[in-house]
Amino acid sequence: MKDILARDPGTDFEPDPVIEAYKKDVDRTLIRENLRLTVEQRFEKLMRLQQFADELRRAGRKLQKPR
Amino acid sequence: MTQFQELIRVLVKGQVELIIVGGAAATAHGSARLTEDLDLVYRRTLDNVGRLISVLAPYKPYLRGAPQGLPFQWEERTLRSGLNFTLTTLLGPLDLLGEIAGGGGYEELLPYCVRLHIFEVDCLCLGLERLIQVKRASGRPKDFEVIAELEAILEERERDE
Repeated sequence: MKDILARDPGTDFEPDPVIEAYKKDVDRTLIRENLRLTVEQRFEKLMRLQQFADELRRAGRKLQKPR
Repeated sequence: MTQFQELIRVLVKGQVELIIVGGAAATAHGSARLTEDLDLVYRRTLDNVGRLISVLAPYKPYLRGAPQGLPFQWEERTLRSGLNFTLTTLLGPLDLLGEIAGGGGYEELLPYCVRLHIFEVDCLCLGLERLIQVKRASGRPKDFEVIAELEAILEERERDE
């Protein structure tokens, strides 16, 4: 078992052209921001995001209800 | 909302042997994507299955998406006769996986895990490289964006080293 930053030496990835195409659209600023957080902070952020998504869904359902 | 903190804490304190995989593992490694459930690979020994049953029982696990009233019993026999279970619990959606495609079960994944200290407990999480490999092996188009982000995380991490 390794530290979280250790590299798995058995895994070297051949670039996959499809994945490389998708990679262009990855927002690396978000990744960099997350990498500055602790793992616990990353989970806390995810839970806040879930809460926000729940609120949006609730609001969406309310809009769809017939008046 | 999934109460990751409580779910992980309850399971680890109950000495359930598990590995965090899937979207939650991606979050641990730095993913910015929203994931709704907690995916865990559990060790399928009799003892561990027994611990899993008793620790989760108070949180009323039930088959996710299934109609109410099915004769689903949260007991050792149920877990032993199945493999992967997508559940609802009072703490949120939970996927209990005996195996994952391209990665195998608990014993096969163990050498590729990292130890996390989160929410005051130590638990195992699938390492980033193996997580990518497993996602690649699954070959599902819906995972392409996920793999791209995970590989970008790996590149960013290596850039900082």
